[in-house]
Amino acid sequence: MSEHKPRKSIEKKMPKAFGWMAEYQDENNLLAAARKVRDSGYTKTDAFTPFPVHGIDEALGIKPTILPFIVLCAGFTGLATALLMQWWTNGFDYKYIISGKPFGITPASIPIAFELTVLFSAFTAFLGMIALNSLPKFSNPVFTNPRFDRATNDRFFLFVEATDKYYNRESVKELLGGTHPDSLDEVLEDTTPSTLPQPIILALLLLVVAGLIPGMIILNMRAGFSTAPRFHVFFDMDFQPKKKAQQQTTIFVDGRTMRPQVAGTIARGQLEEQDPFYLGYDPSKLTMSNDSPSVLFVSLQTPADGKPPIAVPPATKDEKTGGQPPATPVVPVLPWIVKLPIEANEDNMKVGKLKFETYCSACHGYGGYGDGLVHKRADALAQGYWLPPTSLHIDRVSKQPVGQIFNTITKGQGKMASYASSLTPKERWSIVLYVRALQRSRNANIDDVPVESRFLLDEDPKPVDPKPESTNSVEVTSK
Amino acid sequence: MNLNYDKASIEIPESWRAKAPIILSAGLIFLVVGMACCFMATSKGGDYTQALKYLTHSYLANFFYVFSFTLGALFFILVQFLTRAGWSSSIRRLAEILMMTIPYLALLFVPILVMLFAGSSALYGWNADPKDMENSVIASKATFFLSKEFFTIRTIAYFTIWILTASWFFRLSRQQDESGDTELSSLRQKWSGPLIMVFALSVSFAAFDWLMSIDADWYSTIFGVYVFSGSMMGFFALMIILCMLLQNAGKVQKLVTVEHFHDMGKFLFGFVMFWSYIAFSQLVLIWYANIPEETFWYQVRLEGGWKAFSYGIILVHFIIPFLFLMSRHIRRSRTLLATGAAWVLFAHWYDMTFLVMPNAGSAEFFPMVGHLLGGVGMLCIFSAIFIQRATGVPLVAMRDPRLPEALSYANPIL
Repeated sequence: MSEHKPRKSIEKKMPKAFGWMAEYQDENNLLAAARKVRDSGYTKTDAFTPFPVHGIDEALGIKPTILPFIVLCAGFTGLATALLMQWWTNGFDYKYIISGKPFGITPASIPIAFELTVLFSAFTAFLGMIALNSLPKFSNPVFTNPRFDRATNDRFFLFVEATDKYYNRESVKELLGGTHPDSLDEVLEDTTPSTLPQPIILALLLLVVAGLIPGMIILNMRAGFSTAPRFHVFFDMDFQPKKKAQQQTTIFVDGRTMRPQVAGTIARGQLEEQDPFYLGYDPSKLTMSNDSPSVLFVSLQTPADGKPPIAVPPATKDEKTGGQPPATPVVPVLPWIVKLPIEANEDNMKVGKLKFETYCSACHGYGGYGDGLVHKRADALAQGYWLPPTSLHIDRVSKQPVGQIFNTITKGQGKMASYASSLTPKERWSIVLYVRALQRSRNANIDDVPVESRFLLDEDPKPVDPKPESTNSVEVTSK
Repeated sequence: MNLNYDKASIEIPESWRAKAPIILSAGLIFLVVGMACCFMATSKGGDYTQALKYLTHSYLANFFYVFSFTLGALFFILVQFLTRAGWSSSIRRLAEILMMTIPYLALLFVPILVMLFAGSSALYGWNADPKDMENSVIASKATFFLSKEFFTIRTIAYFTIWILTASWFFRLSRQQDESGDTELSSLRQKWSGPLIMVFALSVSFAAFDWLMSIDADWYSTIFGVYVFSGSMMGFFALMIILCMLLQNAGKVQKLVTVEHFHDMGKFLFGFVMFWSYIAFSQLVLIWYANIPEETFWYQVRLEGGWKAFSYGIILVHFIIPFLFLMSRHIRRSRTLLATGAAWVLFAHWYDMTFLVMPNAGSAEFFPMVGHLLGGVGMLCIFSAIFIQRATGVPLVAMRDPRLPEALSYANPIL
């Protein structure tokens, strides 16, 4: 290797000298030497040690770095950036209501301001440290001395730079020599050639050229035309042996890829299409109706025109008032169920009352007269254009079988939306029970009140209370 | 280990001991005058309801103000042993003496318990008859947790935990003064981990019970951490001032170095930041969710003349100490650092006032002057207790095995 080259050339050409470097066995010698050098007035000094030596900065006379002030400025810049950005975007340029919060700088801006302060500070601290240390530096003249390799292992080095304003080659040598170093060498310029070997240059060139290839291909494709079909990298992913909805197949005779249900299957959720409890009518009796299937089908849908359908006469004989003819022939006679599928007991009545007052009373009113708060407000605002909610006590409604009321709650009617998503079927039936009780309470006589509860009526001088407190004592019959 | 040292240099100054009775009397006078000022200025005619409310709130705020220093000291001791810290060995005894004042300060909590059992609901609204708590959510619940009996049991439990922990650590530390046995350090290191968990829970719950329950309808789960962060900040401020005063009196001059001041300054700065972080965390969640049952706590602090005071806490408790303590030159200068610490001591009192006083009523000049006098009085009483407790105890644990480390370390120049 070229270890001896610099030494030889000292006598010949005197390569550039960077300063003196002394080597010590332990950090105490180093610290003592550093103090001596510091006290002699040298400032361009440096120490190289295998581990951090406490007190070396003081011994070398290193002044505190200005990095903290740079970081402080960067932090304030980050803070100002974040606040200005948020004020500009949301308080000035594009006011947009988010969660109903005020525009501009709010407490919600502080975390972002904090983040940007930290981000700017951290990057500045890191990059500033790199820059202030003049890094990256690929080579340092101290490396020319092979003894210096032990700086990472078990030796301590003190370096006085030639650029120091008091530097004098002989006096520094004398000074360092007086600190009892293990060795004292002059740091000389590295005279090994610094040009890159040719193979490496070639390889780098090749790499650069190769790196251009993808870009060129893309540019070529963007600028030119091609009639060739698209190149499929993963052919079996692009063309999978499967059928999608609405496609044809040769596997089945009917050629359909979508297969119909096997007869008699009831899939999850389909039970509700089968059971009177979920429908309000008995689907098995549908065929017994005189109406054509299409009329029946249409009648099961929620009316689209928003007009309330005309009263539907009861379907079966055991309904009390079955005699009235339908107003229009279009309205079908559905096999509504007329007997409540749930028990008419106290618990169900309570649920019905609660749910009615939660969901129904807003429009229909607590008493069911169609005079809820929504109605009152809309009536005041709409000035006559408002179609009031249906009173539950008109003949048309009170004569409906329970199944039909259930169907109305489930599917909605006219302006009334479907409540199937808000209420379970059981709750809907409880509401029907409660509505029945409400209706009954309008036409009750003293015999409907249990004997032991009648004194309550005497104590209360008021006439009939529109609020249905008394309904719990009314016997409910749904037949 | 044999150290040659002047025994007199690690004793509490004779002049301090001589002044202790005067400080105590002055503290009592200040406290009484302050409380009387609160009481007189808020009583209207024959109606003392508001006056009593103001008085008790002021007492609680001032009590917790000085008590939080001892909690900070206890945590400091625990965490020094948990981390096996060497740097703090020479200042640890001061914190140990501070934490040993807890038994005395516990006596100052007795009036609050007496007041509870006398049936007063001036401070803790939950102590009122449920019939009188119409607008309260807790009134409609079974209030077993906030009943005076259970409250007292918990209070006693907290004090028991803290006193036992503090005395055990103090006893071992004093034993080490005699024997120099390093095993005593290992034993404390071993138990500091479990005890710090017990400490964390007890402080959090004490904060909930004593401070948060003055408004029992409001709750914030971070409240315990909030109080803890403020307490630590107050503790380090007090330590800095204490070390400086001792050095000015000619004590511990070589044992507490500029490096200790620098490091305590760093902790002070750190806890200023930590408090701000926690206080803001509490605020931003409540502000963003904007639920009436949470926001009313801040509403109370923005009405009745408290608005400027409450906004002022950002300046007093965060911006000023944060910017002032940021530079290492300030943290390494004893005088400047002590100035900052004195400001932080005030900021901590400000914070305690912010937490408690708006619940008592509107901000008015004379009651607030009374409250401030009460705070000064409480601080004087605390100082007297400290001097009394420090008498006969060396101010530095001279035979601590880590003491050489504490005396030789240095902060690197950045």
